[in-house]
Amino acid sequence: MSTQEDRDKLELLQGTLDMLILRTLLFGPAHGHAIAHAIERGSDDVLQIEHGSLYPALHRLVRKRFIAAKDGLSENNRKAKYYSLTPKGRAHLTAENSKWERLAQAIARIMRPSTEEGQL
Amino acid sequence: MKLWRRREESLDDEIHDYVNRETQLNMDAGMLPEEARFAAQRKLGSSSLVKEDTREAWGWGWLERLWQDLRYGWRMLFKNPGFTLVAVISLAIGIGANSAMFSLADALILRPLPVARPGEVVTVGFNASVSGFGSIVASYRDYLDFRNTAKSFDGLVAFTNYSFGFSKGPDAVSQMKMGMLVTGNFFRVLGVEPEQGRAFRDDEDQVPGRDAVVILGHDLWEKDFASDPSILGRKVQLSGIEFTVIGVAPARFTGMDLYFRPSFFVPVAMWPRFVTNPKDRPLEARDYRALGIKGRLKPGVTVGQAQAEMTGIAKALEQAYPDTNKNRIVEVRTEFQRRLEQSPPDAKIAAMLTLLAMAVLLVACANVAGLLLSRAPVRAREMALRLAIGAGRPRLIRQLLTESLLLAIAGGLLGLAVGYAGVNFLSRLQPPTDLPIQMTIQLDQRALLFSMTVSLLSAIFFGLAPALQTTRTDVISGLRTAGAETPQRRRLLGRNALVVGQVALSLVLLMVSTFIYRGFQQVLGEGPGFRTDHVLMMSFDPSLVRYNEAQTQQFYRQVVERARSVSGVKSAAIASAAPMDPEDGGSMSILPEGYQLPKGQDNPSVFGNTVDEHFFDTMDVQITRGRGFRASDNKGAPLVAVINEQLAKRYWPGRDPVGKRFRLDPPDGPWVEIIGVTKTLKYLWIAEAPTEFLYLPLAQHPQSRMLLLAQSSGDAAGLAEPLRHMVRELDANQPVYGVRTFDDFYRYKAVGQPNVIIRTVAAMGVMGLVLAMVGLYGLVAYAATRRSREIGIRMAIGAARGTVLRMVLKQGLVLALSGIAIGLAASIGAQRLLNAIFESNGRDFGTYLLVAPALLAITALAVYIPARRASRIDPMRVLRYE
Repeated sequence: MSTQEDRDKLELLQGTLDMLILRTLLFGPAHGHAIAHAIERGSDDVLQIEHGSLYPALHRLVRKRFIAAKDGLSENNRKAKYYSLTPKGRAHLTAENSKWERLAQAIARIMRPSTEEGQL
Repeated sequence: MKLWRRREESLDDEIHDYVNRETQLNMDAGMLPEEARFAAQRKLGSSSLVKEDTREAWGWGWLERLWQDLRYGWRMLFKNPGFTLVAVISLAIGIGANSAMFSLADALILRPLPVARPGEVVTVGFNASVSGFGSIVASYRDYLDFRNTAKSFDGLVAFTNYSFGFSKGPDAVSQMKMGMLVTGNFFRVLGVEPEQGRAFRDDEDQVPGRDAVVILGHDLWEKDFASDPSILGRKVQLSGIEFTVIGVAPARFTGMDLYFRPSFFVPVAMWPRFVTNPKDRPLEARDYRALGIKGRLKPGVTVGQAQAEMTGIAKALEQAYPDTNKNRIVEVRTEFQRRLEQSPPDAKIAAMLTLLAMAVLLVACANVAGLLLSRAPVRAREMALRLAIGAGRPRLIRQLLTESLLLAIAGGLLGLAVGYAGVNFLSRLQPPTDLPIQMTIQLDQRALLFSMTVSLLSAIFFGLAPALQTTRTDVISGLRTAGAETPQRRRLLGRNALVVGQVALSLVLLMVSTFIYRGFQQVLGEGPGFRTDHVLMMSFDPSLVRYNEAQTQQFYRQVVERARSVSGVKSAAIASAAPMDPEDGGSMSILPEGYQLPKGQDNPSVFGNTVDEHFFDTMDVQITRGRGFRASDNKGAPLVAVINEQLAKRYWPGRDPVGKRFRLDPPDGPWVEIIGVTKTLKYLWIAEAPTEFLYLPLAQHPQSRMLLLAQSSGDAAGLAEPLRHMVRELDANQPVYGVRTFDDFYRYKAVGQPNVIIRTVAAMGVMGLVLAMVGLYGLVAYAATRRSREIGIRMAIGAARGTVLRMVLKQGLVLALSGIAIGLAASIGAQRLLNAIFESNGRDFGTYLLVAPALLAITALAVYIPARRASRIDPMRVLRYE
């Protein structure tokens, strides 16, 4: 029983990371390191993502064909792997986005300070 | 795998790239290089973990897990070398025995015809069985009618084995070689492409005697012509006729049966030119049935449909030619069926040995299963731990099965070595002959495939139950105690049942091997009923040098006369076959006077021999009634025959057969009077059931291919040279072959062959016994270890060593005795089965008295040793350890 619950939690976290990656790539292709820092900066360093967990997520997204990987050269002429959003990934992001917003709203409604309780 | 490597490298690069960039970032922020790299790595986390997680995302998980399971299993096996060794050796014995037996069965029965799509090829013809030995034949006329009317086949071919005097040129001395007369479509229909040159054309068997062309067999080409590449167009002599070589058959085409390899192939239309007896008209006489026919079934046509069509054709032939085709039963047989019917003893031996080998494997599997089961509690803690950290039960079962698989593969590989040794041993079954007859027992691809399949199946067989058992672990209790000590009844019950089964099975194995051993010893002791020592054999076939019938008879008369005057020869005789060499003796169709043939049954055929008046004396064959042949039983005299007691019993039960008559070659053959009866001898092989037999006098039935049997006063082998010399003086060109002492021949036929079988059977009995004893020993030792705490306590509170010894002994002996009881019951059934197989009715109580106590003693020992060790436990040590 407990393993079933664990898996649900994991999936939720996983999905969130996937969404953040897709969102980052909306601005254009990027390599792994850049994606990690973009997510960190984008959340004003609140989200301390585990950089290591980024790679499994990236490869998973490639396999689902949400993003594409391409070998390229970086600014200082070093070989690097660039990820870019595919049309399928873009569509997925939109869907995930609205789902996330609804979820966030629902959570926010529940989590509002108790002072607002009286208003109900 | 290349893709895999590239992916791995790319991932390495990617991780590396990350670390470099992060390091650079840190250095930009003012860290020292060393420090910066360290921080970067910390930020990433364990890079091997990252890689592992990423690999998981690739979706190669199952392969990865299999690899993991294999590596883990490998380590586990290495960590327990004792267990692994016993298990692997057990399996090697079991699998090796099966590989060897498969190879034997393959050589005797299973190997497919060496033609294209052998599954489509069936045998067609008239039943001509003799004493249970199946034979399907047809005449050339029958064949033509079959070929022209039957719609079920994509071609029908006919062929026959034929002996030729072969020489490379007109001046060279000819040697006797066996070749094959074949129809023009033979190679085309069978889909055999000559390695050199071409196959026969259909028109090459149209005009009798016109096309003197020959296709050499690969062996002959290799041995006699040193694989000469310019062989095509070369002239060779076959029985004095010049032939042009037009092709060489491929090496893989070994002929149409498993043993006989034709030296060359000649169009069947040439047949009349080899015939020396003008009465023989092989291509015209509808009752000259000496051809074998194979047909290639059209796609979608079943054997049953072909049989139905052929039955109709045979009916039509019966009406058109009642003289020759009345009551003939036409048969369509697959190759497998044909081989089973052709030599039932071979099929029986193969079946029996295969069954025994399977029993050995069963005992071996039980052994390994037992070992695995006894490791279950040891591994319970490991299993519990893995379950606790989230491994699913299917995963654990898969892990355990992978370990079993590794064991099976290791056992299979070692088993091949065992099988190889077995095949080498079985290869002694080669008949001693200078004819191209070979029995090829080999560990080929098919045998390898068979062994691997057996290994995999046995892995599942011995691995599944223990895997289920081992993973049925309660996490909490499994983690709490290391070696579980609460004796779980169910677990022991399974192992007990295994051991009882093993003991029972090994008893049956031993019983069966002893039955067979003693049975053979008995018949060998009784002997074949004729002289086997001090006789030299020598074969001739004057038709190879184109003697006519009168010349041939003259030749044989001279051979016997002169042989008798050679010093050292006590007596000499001529016969068409040596005793126990039935292939050359042939069979005769008879109908006793006044005997009413059951409806639908063909005339009875019996094995027979054509012999001169000296044969019975020379071979010491006892005449029990009447007389043997005399010189006066010649062409002009009334036709006579000598029969054996078995034949007399069949048709003249309780009466004196001497003076009775039978018709030879019914329905219109001549009447023959019985003048004597011999004892029933052994005619085919030493362990045969009593067989009916008939002798005809040579002078009344002259033949070309005959055998000289010379009884020596001294060493028989010493006669070979003087006798050869004698023949050379008569005719320097006369091929002489098959020169050997009868002793050699008999020893191979009667002693060598059964001995190989006896030893094989005995080896399997011993293997089964050893394996079962290892199992029993292991169980008792294991049970004693598990009870060591209990034993320690008992001894601490005053139990004597004797009491403990008795306690452990009792436990083991109960198992052994139950096994022996079950085994004895099963042995009675096994003996019935053996009797059915060998058509004997032995009731060998001696074997029971011999084997059962012996097994009891050995099992007692296997139980006593671990029991004694258990009783030597130092109670203080056991209890302190706990």
